[in-house]
Amino acid sequence: MESDRYDVVVVGEGIAGFTAAAAAAHRKLRVALVATGPGSIVNGLGWLKAQDIPRASSAPDLGEAIAFFCEMARRAGCPYAGDISTAKYLPSLMGDFQSVALAPHLLWNAEPRDGVATVIIGVRGLSGFDENFMAERLSEQTRAMNSSGTYAARQISLARDMGAPVTALRIAQLFDRDADFRKELVCALRIAASGFQRIFVPGMLGVDSSAEQITEFSQELGCPVCEISTLPPSIPGLRVFHRMESYLRQIGVELYRGFPVEKLEIDDGVCTGARVAAPGHAMNLRGDSVVLAAGSHSASLLGEAYAGRDHEMRPLNSTGTVMARNLFIAGTLPNSAGDNGNAVRILTGCRAGNLAASTRKNHAA
Amino acid sequence: MRPDDLAIDNCLKCSLCNTVCPVLAADARYPGPKRLGPELERLRREGISTDTEWVEYCLGCHRCDLICPNQVNVSEMIARAKATHRKPLIRGLRDWWFARPCLLGKLTTILPALSNFALAMKPARIFMSKMMQITPQRKFPKYTRPNLRSPAMTKTARQRVVFFPGCFIRYNRPELGRGVINLLERNGFSVEVASSECCGVPALANGDAAVARSMARANVRAMAAQVDSGLRIVTACSSCGHMLKTAFGGILEDDKKFAGAAKKLASNTFDLAELLMEQADAGELNTNFQHTNLRLAYHAPCHQKSQGIGRPWYHLLRMIPGVTVEDMDAGCCGMSGTYGFKQEKYAISMEIGEQLFASIRAAQPQMVATECATCQMQIEHGTGFKAIHPAEIMLRAYEGNRIQINRGTPR
Repeated sequence: MESDRYDVVVVGEGIAGFTAAAAAAHRKLRVALVATGPGSIVNGLGWLKAQDIPRASSAPDLGEAIAFFCEMARRAGCPYAGDISTAKYLPSLMGDFQSVALAPHLLWNAEPRDGVATVIIGVRGLSGFDENFMAERLSEQTRAMNSSGTYAARQISLARDMGAPVTALRIAQLFDRDADFRKELVCALRIAASGFQRIFVPGMLGVDSSAEQITEFSQELGCPVCEISTLPPSIPGLRVFHRMESYLRQIGVELYRGFPVEKLEIDDGVCTGARVAAPGHAMNLRGDSVVLAAGSHSASLLGEAYAGRDHEMRPLNSTGTVMARNLFIAGTLPNSAGDNGNAVRILTGCRAGNLAASTRKNHAA
Repeated sequence: MRPDDLAIDNCLKCSLCNTVCPVLAADARYPGPKRLGPELERLRREGISTDTEWVEYCLGCHRCDLICPNQVNVSEMIARAKATHRKPLIRGLRDWWFARPCLLGKLTTILPALSNFALAMKPARIFMSKMMQITPQRKFPKYTRPNLRSPAMTKTARQRVVFFPGCFIRYNRPELGRGVINLLERNGFSVEVASSECCGVPALANGDAAVARSMARANVRAMAAQVDSGLRIVTACSSCGHMLKTAFGGILEDDKKFAGAAKKLASNTFDLAELLMEQADAGELNTNFQHTNLRLAYHAPCHQKSQGIGRPWYHLLRMIPGVTVEDMDAGCCGMSGTYGFKQEKYAISMEIGEQLFASIRAAQPQMVATECATCQMQIEHGTGFKAIHPAEIMLRAYEGNRIQINRGTPR
């Protein structure tokens, strides 16, 4: 086994890259994941909008890919809830409802509910979260939907010095590290929530916390709790990122973080690896197959000839020839302007990971 | 350091740097890398004074640089602000010394026994605490007469390399230096020891850019001929390696005379484990290891991560039969060289380390392996577990010597 030789090299650490790396690693292959920073998941809510779910006719393998992703998320300790065939309305920070098919479990139970009194609890000094604004907007919209759910706003103060302004990141880091802080938070929230049947809080319940830890917290509260994502970096998104990254590490994926891939080595229709711009001298990660899942900005790695991908995820040049038969493009396409959402990222990540896995020689042994 | 650096325009204020900053997580009052770096840098470039003592609290761990999706050199901007920050007199004097570990090393090792005695004396520590604001909580590393010399040429060697020992190995642990040479020789290298100065990391960390620059120049001068003749430079200290590989943190970039040579030196610098891994990949690693029963926790120093070389030591140690290794992956240890010795920063340094300490305590290893000398001090101080350089473990595995597993003295 050579240290820089992998069965599969995955470029990009967003949802697509994670899914591709996991798909290959689950087949007991030696996988490297190279990335400069997380994908867009940390800016968003990590959910799958209903409108972004591709039609079954164009993606017969979607169900399988989503099931794979959900299993990966569950094992990583950040389970998802929902299904591609369902859709429900979940609130955003701006107090409007979006139609969502799947979401991290803490976001999932926030749909309008008849007869349920929900309290939105803000934190004094927390920047970028306005519980009054949210309560007013959600009440208005729920009425328009003819639902009899109600929303009220409350605010809690935290006893300790949280810095100014208070950030969701700060609260989340304390939540992870400090059992006393979690107790304080439970006490404060419990008082503010008395008389209500459901609590919405800003996304702040830990950057690394697992589903069990949050369930335990919720049980102590004695009332179901849902998170509302705040401004980027969104804590629920960051949590999915952290949990998935450590899960991949745990199943043996080698992570190369911090330096961009400066070149994909393509020779005679075969991609032999990725050259990483580490300080001093570049690092060559060789792979039997390579998955490029680094988003729209990665176009320069394929050069001007790149014109799209074929149905087996391989890059094509302007004459329609496959540029490299063991290179697979996942996630948002290089050079594309649009964002096609997390469902497509999962679908293409899973496909690319599986295709890459089936074209390799095994280096794990 | 280029004032016309356009990387600042790549900052989209996404705040990811803040999510990985160990200082910010430990102290809510710290403004964080986004603010101290790109945000205030815009004002500093306009000549607006934004001087704040907080720039001194940056560890220089480079975690912000590594997470940035747009390759903004966040910590370099903070280092530049640190260099113009004015400190109160006593702290300034203290940091003057801290910026010059090789001078300190040269002086204390004239009479090492006396220095060690004096540095450990209680009245001396009280004096240092009161007059120099050096925390009395920590022990100083022991100094030894510097006696690290180039060994005789080995005839069977396949390749000749230059070993850059750095101050700690030169003045405190020359026997570790000889161990490194021994490891290299056992793996087909013949070694000459660089006649180098301090790498300059402590000078940069203490806001002394001028000293860092003069050390960088001296190092380039000392090793340029060897590099030109095709020899590679080997480091065993992760901070020295980081400094050499980043062409001395870019501080010579506007230096017409030295910039080119510094870059060439950077591209020819390798971490010891990188070289050994290269041997392993070529099937040429000496694997005459004795069975060594040892359960290790591995901590990757920040300046190891900032070299972008993966985890070569983690994999090398696992090649020794009987050795099991668990990668702690629990962030920065909080020591950051001289940082943890500073009285006003001691508490925050320990708070930062708590994550790592907790992981080590949970793992209950027989010993901790980590390349960085000050990470070792911090781990021993914070957990009581013995922490040593992975090269020492590998060497003992060759020699078949049992490794002493005495616990260090917990705080």
